[in-house]
Amino acid sequence: MKKVDSLKALDEIKGRVRPLLAVREDLDYTKIKEAPQVDILVCRGTGCTAAGSAEAEDAFRDAVKSNGLQSRVNVVKTGCRGFCEKGPNVIITPSDVLYTEVRAEDASEIVERHLLNGEIVERLLYKDPVTGKSIPFNHEIDFYKGQTRVVMHLNGLIDPWNIAEYIAYDGYRALIKALTEMRPEEVLGEVTKSGLRGRGGAGFPTGMKWGFVHSAAGEEKFVLCNGDEGDPGAFMNRSVLEGNPHSVIEGMAIGAYAIGNVRQGYAYVRAEYPLANETLSHAIHQAREYGFLGENILGTGFSFDIDIFPGAGAFVCGEETALMVSIEGKRGNPQQRPPFPANKGLFDKPSVLNNVETWSNIPRIILNGGDWYSSIGAKGNAGTKTFCLVGKISRSGIAEVPLGSSLGYVVFDIGGGPPGGKRFKAVQIGGPSGGVIPLEHINTPVDYESVTGLGAIMGSGGLIVMDEDSCMVDMARFFLQFTKDESCGKCTPCRVGIPKMLEILERISQGEGKMEDLDTLEELASMVAEASLCGLGQTAPNPVLSTIRHFREEYEAHIIDKKCPATVCAALFRAPCQHTCPVGLDCFGYAALIKEGKSDEAYRLIKQKLPFPMVVGRVCHHPCEAKCRRAQVDEPVAIRHLKRFAADWALEHNVEYIPEIKEKREERVAIIGSGPAGLSAAWDLAIYGYQVTVFEALPEAGGMLAVGIPEYRLPKDVLKKEVEDVRKLGVEIKQNSRIDDVTSLLKDGYKAIFIAIGAHEGARMGIPGEDLEGVYEAIEFLREVNLGKEVRVGKKVAVIGGGNTAVDSARVALRKGADEVYIFYRREKKDMPAIEEEVLSTEEEGVHLHCLTTPTKILGDNGRVSELELVRMELREFDRSGRRTPYAIEGSEYKVAVDMVIEAIGQRPDTSLIKDGELKIGRGGTIIADPRTLATEQKGIFAGGDAVTGAATVVEAIAAGQRAASSIRRWLQGKELSPLVERDGYEPIAIPSILPTEEETQEKAKVRISEIEPKERVASFKQAVSGYSPEEAMEEARRCLRCDLEV
Amino acid sequence: MNEISLTIDGRQVKGEEGDTVLDVCKANGIYVPTLCHKDGLSDVGACRMCVVEIERERRVMPACTYPAKDGLVVKTHTERLERYRRLILELILSEHEHNCLVCEQNGNCELQNLVYQYGIDKISLPINKLVEPIDDSSEVILRDPNKCILCGRCVRACAEIAGQGILSFADRGSKTIIVADLNWPLAQSGCVSCGACIQACPTGALTEKLARFQGRSWEFRKVQTTCPYCGVGCQIELNIKDNRIVKIYGVEDGSDNKGNLCVKGRFGFDYVHHPDRLTTPLIKRNGKFEEASWDEALDLIATRFKELKDKYGSDALAGLSSAKCTNEENYLFQKFVRTCFGTNNVDHCARLCHAPTVTGLVQTFGSGAMTNSINEIGDAACILAIGTNTTENHPVIGREVKRAVDNGAKLIVANPREINLCHFASLWLQHKPGTDVALLMGMMRVIVDEGLLDLVFIEERCENFDAFKQSLNDFDLDFVESVTGVPRDNIAQAARMFAVNSPATILYAMGITQSSHGHDNVMATANLAMLTGNVGKRSTGVNPLRGQNNVQGACDMGALPNVYPGYQAVADPAIRGKFETAWGCSLPASPGLTLIEMLEAAYRKEIKALYLVGENPALSDPDIRHVWESLAKLEFLVVQDIFLSETAKFAHVVLPAASFAERDGTFTNTERRVQRVRKAIKPIGDSRPDWWIICQVAKRSGAKGFNYSHPFDVMEEIRHLTPSYGGISYQRLENGGLQWPCPTDDHPGTPILHVNTFVRGKGRFVPLKYVPPAELPDENYPLILTTGRSLYHFHTGTMTRKVVGLNNIEPESTVEINPRDASQLGITQDDKVKVSSRRGEVITKAKVTEASPPGVVFMTFHFAESPANILTNPKLDPISKIPELKVCAVTVRPLMK
Repeated sequence: MKKVDSLKALDEIKGRVRPLLAVREDLDYTKIKEAPQVDILVCRGTGCTAAGSAEAEDAFRDAVKSNGLQSRVNVVKTGCRGFCEKGPNVIITPSDVLYTEVRAEDASEIVERHLLNGEIVERLLYKDPVTGKSIPFNHEIDFYKGQTRVVMHLNGLIDPWNIAEYIAYDGYRALIKALTEMRPEEVLGEVTKSGLRGRGGAGFPTGMKWGFVHSAAGEEKFVLCNGDEGDPGAFMNRSVLEGNPHSVIEGMAIGAYAIGNVRQGYAYVRAEYPLANETLSHAIHQAREYGFLGENILGTGFSFDIDIFPGAGAFVCGEETALMVSIEGKRGNPQQRPPFPANKGLFDKPSVLNNVETWSNIPRIILNGGDWYSSIGAKGNAGTKTFCLVGKISRSGIAEVPLGSSLGYVVFDIGGGPPGGKRFKAVQIGGPSGGVIPLEHINTPVDYESVTGLGAIMGSGGLIVMDEDSCMVDMARFFLQFTKDESCGKCTPCRVGIPKMLEILERISQGEGKMEDLDTLEELASMVAEASLCGLGQTAPNPVLSTIRHFREEYEAHIIDKKCPATVCAALFRAPCQHTCPVGLDCFGYAALIKEGKSDEAYRLIKQKLPFPMVVGRVCHHPCEAKCRRAQVDEPVAIRHLKRFAADWALEHNVEYIPEIKEKREERVAIIGSGPAGLSAAWDLAIYGYQVTVFEALPEAGGMLAVGIPEYRLPKDVLKKEVEDVRKLGVEIKQNSRIDDVTSLLKDGYKAIFIAIGAHEGARMGIPGEDLEGVYEAIEFLREVNLGKEVRVGKKVAVIGGGNTAVDSARVALRKGADEVYIFYRREKKDMPAIEEEVLSTEEEGVHLHCLTTPTKILGDNGRVSELELVRMELREFDRSGRRTPYAIEGSEYKVAVDMVIEAIGQRPDTSLIKDGELKIGRGGTIIADPRTLATEQKGIFAGGDAVTGAATVVEAIAAGQRAASSIRRWLQGKELSPLVERDGYEPIAIPSILPTEEETQEKAKVRISEIEPKERVASFKQAVSGYSPEEAMEEARRCLRCDLEV
Repeated sequence: MNEISLTIDGRQVKGEEGDTVLDVCKANGIYVPTLCHKDGLSDVGACRMCVVEIERERRVMPACTYPAKDGLVVKTHTERLERYRRLILELILSEHEHNCLVCEQNGNCELQNLVYQYGIDKISLPINKLVEPIDDSSEVILRDPNKCILCGRCVRACAEIAGQGILSFADRGSKTIIVADLNWPLAQSGCVSCGACIQACPTGALTEKLARFQGRSWEFRKVQTTCPYCGVGCQIELNIKDNRIVKIYGVEDGSDNKGNLCVKGRFGFDYVHHPDRLTTPLIKRNGKFEEASWDEALDLIATRFKELKDKYGSDALAGLSSAKCTNEENYLFQKFVRTCFGTNNVDHCARLCHAPTVTGLVQTFGSGAMTNSINEIGDAACILAIGTNTTENHPVIGREVKRAVDNGAKLIVANPREINLCHFASLWLQHKPGTDVALLMGMMRVIVDEGLLDLVFIEERCENFDAFKQSLNDFDLDFVESVTGVPRDNIAQAARMFAVNSPATILYAMGITQSSHGHDNVMATANLAMLTGNVGKRSTGVNPLRGQNNVQGACDMGALPNVYPGYQAVADPAIRGKFETAWGCSLPASPGLTLIEMLEAAYRKEIKALYLVGENPALSDPDIRHVWESLAKLEFLVVQDIFLSETAKFAHVVLPAASFAERDGTFTNTERRVQRVRKAIKPIGDSRPDWWIICQVAKRSGAKGFNYSHPFDVMEEIRHLTPSYGGISYQRLENGGLQWPCPTDDHPGTPILHVNTFVRGKGRFVPLKYVPPAELPDENYPLILTTGRSLYHFHTGTMTRKVVGLNNIEPESTVEINPRDASQLGITQDDKVKVSSRRGEVITKAKVTEASPPGVVFMTFHFAESPANILTNPKLDPISKIPELKVCAVTVRPLMK
């Protein structure tokens, strides 16, 4: 090969090769059959190769050959496009059709069907995990569409093993330009102007760094490339080295020229990247052949060469001083700075170290100018940054976006958010040295300053997405474990400080933490961050500090409540279902008993912890099922249905369980409100022998169970039966007994009071027309219906809201004779807080769901509702709940003719019984009580349930009642209140310890329950959903994986 | 150095450019706590105790590495810093279970001091109770990783002080440990047991194994003195408890060795307390030694010497002085021999080591001592180390050589054996034993031919160059290659390397001198130095490395047959007159016999009586069977020593001498530095210092002028009679050693000789011819035996064989033999073999090693059980009278297995 000695020679190569590559950019699908040239681009990056793309590549060659297509079909190996999760990836051009997870055995099918017949092989197309749709064309995939690719622009397009293809895309043109048209200072100036900042993590301005070394004294200087990418989950540098190695070589050569007195460069590439090493090595060899490296490059007198130094896998060798001493052949320990590498670097000579991504940006900056580059991104944060989007994310891979793009854009628009509809929680950015950025900061622009301001770092661009199932304590623990192992051990704060922090975290995650531990952690962390020698130690505490900062309550849950809300810290629970259940039901236990045919014992096991199994078995929002591990196999166990089965079975078989009261106590306790919270507290206190009186203002006991939930979901007799059980235990329930003076009860001799009045007042929207006839608050509407009052239901009913109350109201309206029922909701369907099954049933029953719309006005005719004016909404940035904020689209107002409007936008407690200053009232009219002990500031008075939390769920109310009972017990016994709920006094029930059989763990959908046909359903208030038969229940129970038995 | 000004804790303080913040703090009396910092070691900023707040730095910075700059504003004791320091101490304490109760460092532990200072009485962090195994494999060093705080001082000491690099960090993070080599037990690693790590360790992680439970820091009395082994003259600090030396530290401040010691210097002291020490005079009666009183023994000696002198004349008496004794004792001894015996028959073991140095360098330069100083070696640009196994025999100088290499110096090693220095050399010239003149002349031929010589220097400072140049004609490289076995290219390369890289220095030892043409060898080195202008400047010169602690001093003191103290010739009437006046008697005019000549004369029964102090010719001299016969023929032999040496067994009277630790005086080391020896313990048993004994013998012989109350008085007399010692007094020596010439009280001493002019005026080039060794291999004795010393033993082993640690490390003699020779002779590793020469045979063990070149075997002469000197050739150099100990022909045969 003759060396390239001029721009002309370069142009000659480009002119010859570029036309041959045109097909790869041809998006026209129609001409595949007769296309004169077809390139099959097989990704041979590490990810795809590991998944079998080498075999696929061979298979394609064979298939091309066996079909006699060699003359027009090329099989080309390319680098990584950053979509490794779906590898092996194969792209057919022209047309840019992407096939994913292509096996060798698929090759002939693709060649025959696609190339010969022009039909797309549907089954191998990429299926978007969010929409579930197949997307044939690479360029139409959302993951790519949202990206701006500067660094990655040739990845996957060119063959990295062929320098001519790089040259075809203007490769080495920048080097020639720099060497022949620019003085070194001009090159420096251009880089400075571009605003490029070091992509290795710290974001130090590259031009400035080069300038330091340029002006440092010394006859011998070095440029170094940091390819020691070691963050867990980061692989963007590897992709560049594998997919476009010449951009790094060219960048380094330009840098060497600009800095001056540089004859040698080193690329420090971790040895665990064999393919990157091989590709780069080959590229260096080719660059030498072509005369881009070596002596007297292009005859300009400039000489420069690059050697690869394979790193031996120590994370800390990515630290610049450690990397340099490692190249010197010493133990890769960081060195204290100053002196800085710009003055005393490799072999004590002035040295510039930039990472792969920084170097690979250089050629395009020189070619297109600094101004071009600085026009991308944000002010002070020019250009793009590649991120490795991994973790709990629907579309994972390398995402390159302009700096300053919002975090939410990357996570949701590109990544599609967490899979499985789970709630996004946070991202860990910057790898183990970084920190978490929580949901509430999802709109943060991703730039160096913003990220640092939130206690994280940009790092090399690792972006680990976490959802509701990620525990922040565990996450901090994981990263500390990593930094602990990767610390070089040289300086004390890092070597000892990190393990000590880790030990404390481990203590916390095992439920043995103390609140002082948080102070110790913060104190240690700040010392380690400040006093450690190098970046590793200085940043290692970030995960701890940032999780404490953003998720303190999660630490407190571990320490105080001994709970891991994400059900990750295994030492804290027996099984995720039980741990997640607010009342801690032994779901696995009753599943096991049902499976054994011991339904009566299952019932007792449930009833011991839950006085209302039949109710809860019907209406619970079952958070247990969301954490059920069976979902990782197929879908969660139908825990709620199993509970209902056991309860219904007991009723059917006259099995009653009223616990024995062992000791009568004199103290009297008053409970205000007979909802699930009040009755649960009464139940627990009565078991302990206390004299309990429940005061209920309404004529029926049960609170929201009685007046909020419609009968088709919760039949009256079911509720009555379970309320009756409470009475049987000796609890006095006084209906129609409204309490107007709380403290008077104390005077009446009650030793303790529990206020559980629920949230029975509807909130209003505050739009014009709410006073018109036919406008209801949902809770009022439901109450009236439940109490059998006559409610005039319109023909066209509009329900406003997206919660369970809205859904219930809509369905009740339908059953009460409405012709058309609409639900208007301002966000998207997936954002609705209502239970998903209920929404589904509602739609089945014919309710019209209108999303992204909100009422602005209720119009009336003669004082009665006649029309509803609405405005369409659009979603913009994310709010603190992680949902996008709806904004009204100006001018999109429209009207719908309705004759009834039910507002279901929220509830608040009616606290009129509380005198001014008697108890504190908080936001939303809720009563202020300690969230853990439920004690109010008045001694002996406790409050809980919806009255304290605002409208929540039945099972949470029950849990609150039990918590209150536990606190009242302690209070009456003169003990200190505790955040831990004590409930004992029950006889033990043995749970079979039998692991599921191999067969039982095989994929198997849950047993469906039968529902009455929608048409029939809406005709009455008859219970819509029936329970399991014993056989069905046993079959379903067999699906339980018995996580509690795991060691 | 530019002065800079900083603000520290609100104070305006001064420093120098290049200082660290810690340096400036220390210089200004501002205390900053440290753990990983140690003066003399590089700084790494690892422990973080010394963190300070520096204006405009976001984080706290370690003072030990932060460069002090003009205008810097520093705070050293803020609330934050103190909080961090406490936390760091807590972290360190939590890393292991620290138990001060039984720790050797209790009271001397830097960690303990800081923890106490910060009042850390409880640790809130969980303590790691993991117990790591203790490495007690070494004979002398105990490593307890449970007390290690990973400050890395031992690692740096091993690399930077000892130049070994055996210790290093291994593993990462909380598993980080310090290992020897590849995590081998210390004993199996390349550790040379110098103990620099112990001295560097701030805690009890590294301790003296044999000192365990022997005493704690506050119980020790500390006495600084001079090491009794080789000629480097390391300053040591004895730690004494109950009249017993428990451990030794290297003196760091103001000493050449800067705390560095070799294994012998640090651990080789327990011979002092060995039960075999002579504790009472012995008189041989009926062939058996019987204990006697001092009066009895001294009177007997005085009487017998007088009888024999009267009977046979003065010249039938002779005295052998000792390079192990102090200057004062050597002075007294030669004074005794000259005044009391009335003869110049006085000599000492310098005859066996550096006699050619004295003759050769006197002839060329005018002075027979090391021209330059030890601390200059590290700054040389080129070092020619010829005939010196420096790292084994002068380990602390060996370290200087490596330091020079670290600094970029070219090292040329000329040695037949693959010694340790070869691994650090730019070039190794593996010449055949005894061919040094040819090798050096060949190099000089290249230098002259290629015009690399320093003509100006030669012109201005030297004479006789033309004649010398003529003599180079005999040394064309083909000839030199054929004689030396060194490829001619290597010779040429060495020549260029030496000539081009200046300053260049030459180091040599016994490999040059112990030869039948040792005098020529020495002059060849002198010629090379002059030819390249490498004399009289820093880091240049010809530097003979003296073997014994005071061999330089013994020579200086005139324990030689031809000169009085200060190399003042006995033959010179004026000088003789001076001494006659001073000593109050007439003195013999003719030079006496040299050591080997004395023994020959004894063999011939011309010498009848011999007074021998601290020498062991029965093991150290060549052809010792002949020596034994000679000794047996003496009518009266007095031996004065600390042990009943092989020689003492021939004596008629044996006098128990005190060891170095039990007396006062001075030693003069190889670089002419006179240093104090201090009495640290009371003499063992009824032993007495040599100076006292000599004076007693002299007084009882009726001599005058031996009334000294203390060696101080003797030194006062020495300096009045010895111009080069004129300015050396005990008072001045309290502030450190002085290098002679030091003629007056205000003279600072002379680190470099021949600076502007040679001692003899002009440096004299001497034409040389190549003469082969006296005995070359033949059919019957096909191998060359060369002898030497090992790191772990000294001389005839009188001392080191009685040091438990050293003797365990190397308990027996070996003969090193090349695998090729070994296989030809049917010898395998560790075989018992018989080594024979024309003079006798010894039995030893084979050590098959590539270090020995084919055709050459090597033995040490430390072992009385396998005395190598039975084999060696007594052939003398005609001028210096040194025997050819380095080359003789032998054969090696396996013993029946």
